[in-house]
Amino acid sequence: MPEQDLPAALQALQAAAWRASVARRLHRGAEQTLLQSIVDATVTLFDAEASSIALFEREPDRLEFRVAAGPQGQGAIGLSVAPTHGIVGYAFSSGQALALSDVATDPRFDRATAERTGYVPRSIAAVPLTDGQRTVGVLQVLDKRGSPTFSLRDMELLGVFAHQAAAAISATKVQRGISTMLRAVLVDMGGDAIGPDQVEALVTASTDRLDESDEAPFWRLVERVGALASLTDREIGLVADILDTVARHATRSAGRR
Amino acid sequence: MVELPAWSEPFQGDDHSRLARAAALSGIDREWAWGGSTGAGITVAIVDSGIERDHPAVMGRLVESVAVEFVEGEPTVVADDGGDLFGHGTACAGIITALAPDVELVSVRVLGADLRGKGAAFLAGLEWAIKRGVQVANLSLSSKSEALYGAFHELVDLAYFRNVALVSAANNLPGNSYPSLFSSVFSVAAHSEPDPVRLYYNPSPPVEFGAWGVDVPIAWKDGGRTVATGNSFAAPHVAGLVALISARHPGLTPFELKAILAAVADNPRTQARG
Repeated sequence: MPEQDLPAALQALQAAAWRASVARRLHRGAEQTLLQSIVDATVTLFDAEASSIALFEREPDRLEFRVAAGPQGQGAIGLSVAPTHGIVGYAFSSGQALALSDVATDPRFDRATAERTGYVPRSIAAVPLTDGQRTVGVLQVLDKRGSPTFSLRDMELLGVFAHQAAAAISATKVQRGISTMLRAVLVDMGGDAIGPDQVEALVTASTDRLDESDEAPFWRLVERVGALASLTDREIGLVADILDTVARHATRSAGRR
Repeated sequence: MVELPAWSEPFQGDDHSRLARAAALSGIDREWAWGGSTGAGITVAIVDSGIERDHPAVMGRLVESVAVEFVEGEPTVVADDGGDLFGHGTACAGIITALAPDVELVSVRVLGADLRGKGAAFLAGLEWAIKRGVQVANLSLSSKSEALYGAFHELVDLAYFRNVALVSAANNLPGNSYPSLFSSVFSVAAHSEPDPVRLYYNPSPPVEFGAWGVDVPIAWKDGGRTVATGNSFAAPHVAGLVALISARHPGLTPFELKAILAAVADNPRTQARG
């Protein structure tokens, strides 16, 4: 890339980084919301006592329960289990879905973990969340009310739910990786013309305004706009009217300066 | 909506007309294939979470136990006495010994190793088993890493040319998974008929065989037992049958073993055997 093109490219990258950062803040909670809707749907569809999603986190390696649904699900949220342990650990490690029944009557069943959640199930199905390349977590269902076991059709349906959850997780990870994206673009565009130090300097220059405190007025506004997603149509109409007034005021103020 | 992979679909329900085949190879029946066989002389590797040596279901048939550990970042096979982390390897071992009580079992623990190198540990364990010289390897696990496609392909070919039958559970999730989708592998999905020797051959691969994998009574952790569902419990049924046939007819290639399984499968036949 010729030296004189750098300022224009940098400006474009800054704009991209800015927009990505706004998008990330607008959708903060989107991952959680989507995962929650998947466990909600799982509980309803299977008429299950509980469903939860655990995601793999490092340092230390663990599977952390992020969302749960169902009458017996809430106790799981926030719990972590070792990925080398139990049915959830097996599904994560092996990449294979499995279901166990009559676990409650087996004295060797991992009761310790179950008891931490406040509910010891009779049957469990665990399906890995795989985003096409890697396993990122596990979807778990406890106790179908209508049946003591899980059928093959159940396992296949759970596989589809798990796939949707994994896709949602990868999408939000893309938004988080703004610096990684910029670095890759710069290295790709620059070839030999830009050294590693220069790449780092450009990435920092493009993103340094993005790490400002969430309390900065602009980001506060972005967060609040993001929260509007949960409103009803009528409420959104009202907010749109208010924003219209504010925007007219902002335009007039800019004109007077 | 994502399309269901539904690898078990062809084996479900009472109507097996979609599995109809022409008459089986003449002269091959179950009596010829494995009548009187106990699996004696056959070594089966269980590439999984380890095996509990003293579990009653293992019937004292465990002859060697290794694990893949990462030494200076490299997957390394070391002797192992860690038992079974999850119970799953022991479950597979128990299904196989119930069918073929005189096989020798080799446990290759690849699960529970450093999670940064799951695929690499699986590859290293599988390579070790093939080169050690086993006749059958049960792989109730899979990798979805496209980056490992080439490495798995190479190993699967090595197994084929060394007459090692790799029996792998199909993965019921969208997308490719290895090594179950390679053509020389015995890929297995579950059916729900409670019969350990009920076997279907699927004329429309990638998944070639259907075996019992729903509500299977299995061995589990700490000497226990439970009831489980999954393709990973179907695969060891096929591994057990392959061990029985291999013991009765030593030296068969994976290709010949598959032909025998297809011939004795419970598929409906479109014409009487001649």
